[in-house]
Amino acid sequence: MKPLQRKYEALKKILREAYFEKEHAEVSEQWQVNAMRRIRNLGPVQLEPSFFTLFEQFVWRLTPATCLLIIIGAIIFLKLGFFPNYDVLTLFINDTEELSLAQLF
Amino acid sequence: MQNHPSRPSDSEIIRRIIDGDVNSFEYLLNKYQDHVLRIVKKHIPYNEVEETAHNVFVRAYQALPGFKEQGSFKQWLSAITVRTCYDFWRKQYRSRELPMSDLSERHRDWLEKKMSSESDLSFSEESRAKEAGELLDWALSKLSAEDRMVIELVYLEGLSVKEASGLLGWSVSNVKVRSFRSRKKLKTLLTGVISP
Repeated sequence: MKPLQRKYEALKKILREAYFEKEHAEVSEQWQVNAMRRIRNLGPVQLEPSFFTLFEQFVWRLTPATCLLIIIGAIIFLKLGFFPNYDVLTLFINDTEELSLAQLF
Repeated sequence: MQNHPSRPSDSEIIRRIIDGDVNSFEYLLNKYQDHVLRIVKKHIPYNEVEETAHNVFVRAYQALPGFKEQGSFKQWLSAITVRTCYDFWRKQYRSRELPMSDLSERHRDWLEKKMSSESDLSFSEESRAKEAGELLDWALSKLSAEDRMVIELVYLEGLSVKEASGLLGWSVSNVKVRSFRSRKKLKTLLTGVISP
């Protein structure tokens, strides 16, 4: 085995041991009491999913359809030649007496 | 494993909790706290262990109606624990609260000595455990939340790709690809430390 590879294997062993060493850290004696307090504060388990959960699930399910609609809409607008900026500019150029920027102020 | 006649089974306790008996959750908490804490301690910094373990039990409690009795409760709880740890790291990386310290000279010196030492003493018997822990934290902090979880589960913990994918809720191929890439990243990082 090459020296660098051997060093790497040794380092791997050190890191694995350090990883398992973390298991021995202590937690406070109050930990369980605090956990149970948090659970009691939540009250009985909710069997019906909340409105927010249902809404979230519904929104995500509609995402592909929404993306598809946006793409189809964009293609249709491009095919029809709908350019709102160009239309507004044409309006200004052709009808300057009726509609001018001064009227806005 | 057989259930003791006087001890209620997990399914029975879960049924009681769903029926509104919140205090019955204490039985599950007592039974599985060591298991959950053992997982959390390995994945999360020490000062965040208690809060994260609380979050695990809160998530498990809220998700109890969705528990399918096809697998064991312990397995289900392990998956919730690992995913809570993953969420912790995702949040940390997003808020950029992660300490991105570089390896100090002290660590490099220690590593050099450790590498050249022929001693076969087990690590826990040695006094410099702190340096190894800090080196591990440094290496993992250089990886993304996803890579970190995969490295910890597959590379350090020694779980199979299938087991890790079950815990993380990712596809087997995703874990396999991530495992390969993250291992490569880690090797590049560590080789940079040990090469002269």
